[in-house]
Amino acid sequence: MNTLCAIIVSRGLDEMLRFCLKSFFESADQLYDSVEVIIVDNASSRPYTKSSLSDSRIRVLRFDVQTRFAAACNRGVKECRTEKLIFLNNDVFLDQSSLCKMLQNSCRAGVGVVGSWLYFPDGRVQHRGVVFGNNDIGPYHLSRGQFLEPRSPFEEYQAVTGACLMVNRSLFNQLGGFNESYQFGLEDIDFCLRVRQHGYRVVCADAGRPMHFESFTPGRVELDVPSRHLFLEHWRGKYTIDG
Amino acid sequence: MFRPAIYSLSIGAENTQSMGNRMKKITVIIHTRDSQATLPRLLESVRWADECIVVDMESTDRTCEIALQYDVTLLSTSVVARVDGIRNNFIERAQHEWIFILDSDEYLSADAAQEVKNLLQEYGNSRDIFSIPRYNMIAGQIMRGSGWYPDHQIRLFRKGCVRWSDSTHKLPELLTTPERIQRLEPPGCLHIHHDNYDSITQFIDKQLKYALNDRYPGEGFSFERYVAMAYEEFSLRLDKKNDGELSIALATVMAWDRVIRGLIHWEQLGRKDSLSHAYSLPVTTISRYPDCIFPSDVEELRRRIQAFESVPGLKMLEKLVNSLRKKISRIMGLIKKTGKPFKLA
Repeated sequence: MNTLCAIIVSRGLDEMLRFCLKSFFESADQLYDSVEVIIVDNASSRPYTKSSLSDSRIRVLRFDVQTRFAAACNRGVKECRTEKLIFLNNDVFLDQSSLCKMLQNSCRAGVGVVGSWLYFPDGRVQHRGVVFGNNDIGPYHLSRGQFLEPRSPFEEYQAVTGACLMVNRSLFNQLGGFNESYQFGLEDIDFCLRVRQHGYRVVCADAGRPMHFESFTPGRVELDVPSRHLFLEHWRGKYTIDG
Repeated sequence: MFRPAIYSLSIGAENTQSMGNRMKKITVIIHTRDSQATLPRLLESVRWADECIVVDMESTDRTCEIALQYDVTLLSTSVVARVDGIRNNFIERAQHEWIFILDSDEYLSADAAQEVKNLLQEYGNSRDIFSIPRYNMIAGQIMRGSGWYPDHQIRLFRKGCVRWSDSTHKLPELLTTPERIQRLEPPGCLHIHHDNYDSITQFIDKQLKYALNDRYPGEGFSFERYVAMAYEEFSLRLDKKNDGELSIALATVMAWDRVIRGLIHWEQLGRKDSLSHAYSLPVTTISRYPDCIFPSDVEELRRRIQAFESVPGLKMLEKLVNSLRKKISRIMGLIKKTGKPFKLA
């Protein structure tokens, strides 16, 4: 019985995806149980083929027309059979210990979502948790771009990034998955806030040194602006401003 | 010619809906023969269709058993050399207005149901035929080069608007006006996904079978035309930038295919015509990416210079040769060796 399923929504960047999968499977080798991967091919100009992703644990779900990240993830989850899900971006390369540590944290009492510290290739912090600013600042990555080391195995936040996010499938389905109104970006933060509304905790774990290049897919950044407007419309005044 | 084997239950929902807002319904038609390896993926990808007809040509593997695991109408027919010749018969048997034809080694994407629905909602009243791009996977690679992509196919159409002829891989006859044909332009549109061949060997084998089983006209034979078509195919299919080495291999097979078709046609007509004319044509390679100049090109250049010597406008020629000399000193050396008196400026 597989325990963990990775859902990777990806468009193009075949080699990046190959390394992402390689690191994922290396990390999965440290687990007792086997894993599976659903790759949602979000309209790559040259579709991914089974032969280019030569691993029987991988299933490819092809979309001919580019779909919103949230919808692509939700569709991918429908194909999963495992209880634990991990959403990964194709530019996240996990560390060997990452999955093991994240799974440990996801078993803590009351924990709904587990994120991970992520690092840029030069060693600076890309993500250690998402905090919220005043007024129109909204959510942002804490300590992004700084050289920092984790001081504890996990910390609690209001949200973590969807670039590397672990959640139970039952909870994911109970909440109706990611909100598909978001074009691209902030559907993960929206999801985490809803998880907390349902009484579960969101934590960010020190899970080795996974790397995240961040925003590599072409055309991704332009979609952030409408997502941010939508997010603030939904959530303004409903989250805590972090000190 | 064919005998119905099993009929699925169809629910006559049409009567309960008014004509105005009636959903446009689709029948998918699939022809199979020993297709057990590819059929499950195809049938999974068209589960959303209102009706699915599988027409099997005497499969000896598990094709029929697999088909019956899905909600399909399974029909049987005897083996024919060219499947296009019998397509029309089965289109007639479809219950719905819109037909989607798929081959057993093709499949649709996970969002196809939504995309087809969107297409019919937007164009269902104003169009009769959709021309859909197709991804071809050959020898493990999805082809993106010229001649292989977008490879538009007439597969989704209103019943009665398309008629196939008894041939292989020929365009069907379109029984509508051009403005009622909607051509889907990539990127970002519905595609057909086609796993053509596992290897180049299999590709050669299939091409040969198609060529041997095709129908050739009883008159109007010209081997020159076949040879010209070979060059045309080679030029069209060669696209190293997009498909690398495989592009060269497949362009070569396609050119070879045209030549052997010429020979098959020639023999079928009793070897009456001469083949030699074809090679008296002033043919040269037409590669768009020449890698180097072959020795034969030097000979060709020398001949051209000789021919031009007697022609007015020699100065232009000298300019040309001078410009060449700067670039290709080796060629100039060879020309000089021919000993022809040719004064260079």
